[in-house]
Amino acid sequence: MAETHTTASLAPAATERPRGGQGENAMAETRLKQIGGLLARQGIFVAFALFMIGFAIFSDRFLSVENIMSVLRAAAIIGVMALGVTVVVIGGNLDLSVGSMLSFSTVMVVDLHDKIGPGAAIGVTLVATLGLGAVNGLLVGVAKLNSLIVTLGMLSAIQGLTLIYSGGKNVDIANQDTTWFKIFGRGYIADIPTPIVIFALAAVVLHVVMAYTPFGRRVYATGGNQTAAVFSGIRRNRVVFATYLISATCVAISAIILGSRVMGSQNNVGQGYELQALAAVILGGTSLLGGAGTIWKTVIGVLILGFIQNGLLLLGFEYYVQWLVTWAVIILAVWLDIAAKRGRLWSPIA
Amino acid sequence: MDKKMKALIAGSTAVMCLALAGGVSAKTIKIGITQNNVGVDSYQTTYEKAFIAAAKADPNVSTVVLDAGGDVARQIAQIQDLIQQHVDAIIVWPTNGKAVVPAVKKAHDAGIPVVITNSNIAKQGMPYIAAFSGPNNIKQGEEAADLMCKALNGKGQIVQISGKPGYTTAIQREKGFEVQLAKKCPGVKIMATQPGDWNREKSQRVMEDFLVKYPKIDGVYAADDNMGVGALNAALAAHRAKDIKFVGATNFAVGYEAMAKGEYYGSVYQSPVEDAKNALKTAVEVVEGKKVPKMNYFPTPPIDQQNMKNFSKPVF
Repeated sequence: MAETHTTASLAPAATERPRGGQGENAMAETRLKQIGGLLARQGIFVAFALFMIGFAIFSDRFLSVENIMSVLRAAAIIGVMALGVTVVVIGGNLDLSVGSMLSFSTVMVVDLHDKIGPGAAIGVTLVATLGLGAVNGLLVGVAKLNSLIVTLGMLSAIQGLTLIYSGGKNVDIANQDTTWFKIFGRGYIADIPTPIVIFALAAVVLHVVMAYTPFGRRVYATGGNQTAAVFSGIRRNRVVFATYLISATCVAISAIILGSRVMGSQNNVGQGYELQALAAVILGGTSLLGGAGTIWKTVIGVLILGFIQNGLLLLGFEYYVQWLVTWAVIILAVWLDIAAKRGRLWSPIA
Repeated sequence: MDKKMKALIAGSTAVMCLALAGGVSAKTIKIGITQNNVGVDSYQTTYEKAFIAAAKADPNVSTVVLDAGGDVARQIAQIQDLIQQHVDAIIVWPTNGKAVVPAVKKAHDAGIPVVITNSNIAKQGMPYIAAFSGPNNIKQGEEAADLMCKALNGKGQIVQISGKPGYTTAIQREKGFEVQLAKKCPGVKIMATQPGDWNREKSQRVMEDFLVKYPKIDGVYAADDNMGVGALNAALAAHRAKDIKFVGATNFAVGYEAMAKGEYYGSVYQSPVEDAKNALKTAVEVVEGKKVPKMNYFPTPPIDQQNMKNFSKPVF
């Protein structure tokens, strides 16, 4: 069970779904194969490509390097968070607390920046955020409480903590131009905005962890079938605990990018971001039931959400139309993904 | 034990003194306030502090300060509690302009005047209130339009970043800005409007998209400075800030500083301290039986690089 899912990310073509569809099914499959070869079974990539082509036709600026860099830079904040959430979800749990955790960490890193210096501020924030992740991990992993309830509760609890910490005030960094802290959100590495580099690095690291290490396999196994995992000698508690630490680390990294990009923070800056991150994860095809999903597809999910918002704005849609179209596009993407897996658009059985 | 006794003695002495003071001076006015959500942002936090300070400064006023924590149900319960306590006036910062109407009517029926502060009650509640005290957001939009017109010498193309969709403040500022601009400054065109949700990061993202979409932007109007600075951040990163005039509203400390640096053209000054003082003053005057205008706005003057030295830096 677990092995199937881990190898899915290595050789998706071979294991993504069981073979055996004859006739019509097989014909549809050959057609799809002609279009995209390996990508044929990766419906989400096809969907992504379609959107990009669609927007590019209607806006000549959409595919400019300037625009792509700008979208990726902005998407990196939700993106890094979504990577962490992916790991938690693959492990069979949810993490809804990441939105207010992002507010907390951003307020903290920005506030401490002027008080104890950027380096120490980053260190303290990382430790504090890991502490919050550990609370999630203990309650879900060790106490075995329902992750939805725990992290939903933590969502409000951390928001309260943030308000207590800041006393309701906005925090700002005084010397925005001189601090080296600006590198994370505003800087460039080899002409590429740093947030994009960080996002890419985080994706590669987590992909390797999930696809190539024993730990990654244990996460898939735990999410796929807890009981079987425990009887196979996997220490479920530790695995779940670790997934929440990973998620918290990702949040802290996002907070550093956000704080550096904005050079200030409101108390509720991450409000609603948890749902955007979760949307990207689901869009990427990670199963909410756990045990299945890949880091790469979450990256695509993040990109789709980022480029839709950007594309619709470039086309000049009103924001309320944007909300509707965003929803429609998500449905379409998920449908295409499912359809490509089935080999046809509609099926009487799931 | 000893400490407890001391505290008790101190406490009872204080109570006696208060009672004496009450007996000597004119009757103390007892005012209850239920606020929207203290602690959620700097504006509301500063407002509460200023309100308490202003009440302390007036020996004839005693207050019951409550906070609804953004919860409509709690606010309604608090209004009912204040009615039970027979306060002389109730100040309400509505968590929801419509939902508080029945509770406000109850106070009105009980003969307790209600003053609404900061964000007004819904239309059907207007007959039951003694006065509204707060900023005139339509006027603020108009002030911002005049600033923008001045900044661009009456000609140019701009983008607008509005507040959170559905919020009265956002709607009124947008309307005031657009109507005034069309009337007084037809040479300045609004190319696009997008919400920034009062969130600096969101506003920065929106502005990045605008910068890609429009090769020439002469000005940006943001419905508060927090979002205005987000837009400025985006333009600075794209090296286009020099060609763009930024006008905001509700001057924040960051906006004030950006103005001092010459990167930000202007804003509208709205002080939570004035807001709080005005609310208390209005309530006191209502209780004293003075004639108070129904819409009691406190001044929110335009601020720009030239006149900013007349204003102190906002505390939020």
